[in-house]
Amino acid sequence: MRFPRRALRIVGGVLVVYALLVATHLGEFWPFSIYPMFSQAGTPWTRAVVRELPSQADPDTLSWDAVSLQSLPGASYPLAPKGINQNDVANYVSKTDQWTDERVRGLRSLFTKGRTLSSPLFVFRVRGTLEADTVSVTATPVLLFEPDTTQLNPSPAARTVASAPPPS
Amino acid sequence: MSTLSRISHTLRRELFAGFASDTPGTWLYFRGVELFLLTYTVYFCWDWGVYIQQNISSVLLPLGLANYIDVSFMFGHNVALINAVLVGVLGLAGFFRLWRPAYLLALLAFHLQYVARYSLGEISHGSNLVGMGILGLGIALLAFRSEERRRRFTFGFLYFFIGLGYTSAAVCKLIGTGITWPDGRHLLMWIAERKVDTLSRFGAFDPSVLQEMVLHDYHFGTLFLLVGLLTEAISFLMWWRRLRHVVVLLVVGMHIGILLTMNIFFHASTYLLLLLGLPWHHIIDYVLDRVRTPVPSA
Repeated sequence: MRFPRRALRIVGGVLVVYALLVATHLGEFWPFSIYPMFSQAGTPWTRAVVRELPSQADPDTLSWDAVSLQSLPGASYPLAPKGINQNDVANYVSKTDQWTDERVRGLRSLFTKGRTLSSPLFVFRVRGTLEADTVSVTATPVLLFEPDTTQLNPSPAARTVASAPPPS
Repeated sequence: MSTLSRISHTLRRELFAGFASDTPGTWLYFRGVELFLLTYTVYFCWDWGVYIQQNISSVLLPLGLANYIDVSFMFGHNVALINAVLVGVLGLAGFFRLWRPAYLLALLAFHLQYVARYSLGEISHGSNLVGMGILGLGIALLAFRSEERRRRFTFGFLYFFIGLGYTSAAVCKLIGTGITWPDGRHLLMWIAERKVDTLSRFGAFDPSVLQEMVLHDYHFGTLFLLVGLLTEAISFLMWWRRLRHVVVLLVVGMHIGILLTMNIFFHASTYLLLLLGLPWHHIIDYVLDRVRTPVPSA
């Protein structure tokens, strides 16, 4: 068989495998993909921000209410210098339907595997929605990681995206 | 001749007829692309290996083979780092033509590393083109014995699947959102999202000039998104040799636009496209000819 014909047949075969794998795996079977990123424009998004509280902060007096991005308590806790990927934190807070012990441990381990906490960390779920011609951004506390313990938002409705009420 | 035959004939001619001449330029160019793909493969595997070892302890969203096997064995005992070493060794065996299945087995180990790294729910596309490159090299090494055919196949394979991938991304946008996808307010949303991500990563966010323009008037966003969507949509035209370099360089321009408007840089994909977007083999041959040609004395 001449080379170009054989080469195209192989490419055709790979294309069939590619199509079958992405069709049966929600569009993703690395390195095959339908590349759906940014395909759903204008839909609300959920990300995460972590704040570091003073080491003497009293957890009992903390507010668990949603705040704006400008009113976040504590100091910023940049993830990149710690070698933590912010997408991983965002995925935990946006894709968790129920905070089981395993989920809580998994997220906590991002901050504690190979290092110790010196101050409490407050993990916020940040949600953006398009309202007319502007973007509204709200941050809701989800978890508080203290050096020895973890606290979830006392309101079960505020802990996950699925149970959180839509922003007013 | 039927339509299917005509398409098949055109694709055979456009994708696999180039790079046939055995010049120093084509040889160096191909080996350079191969080395680039291998270097990035090893880089990704080590980067992910260290991250898996340090940070990951559970599977939140199984991807690829992780749907069928429990990849939590990758999370401890340095397994991810050992896998990275394995990828490197297999890559070298492939590069020096010591073992023909080497690249395809390296791809399998690369896939395992990917699904272990991204088991927390993020679906990253930054390494897909490199993965497709290793697949093309792996098939070429296994299916063809002559270096000339391996070279022609790998380049044709890459142009075909890269063009298809970008056009597929445009189709997804039109299916996912519809004709209103380039509405500039959507870019406002993504800029706000990237602002939160950047604050989360570094603690501060400074908008770029293009972002300032969109924040000032979202109609600029409409223009940027429209140009990006059109560029993606026509990417399959890189299958044709006459249009190839223009189309590939347009896609590079789109990636630079994504960097400036959304702070996202697909470095491996952009550098690979730069390698594929210019006739480097002709440039190398031209330079070598100039070097070899003796300069007439005055």
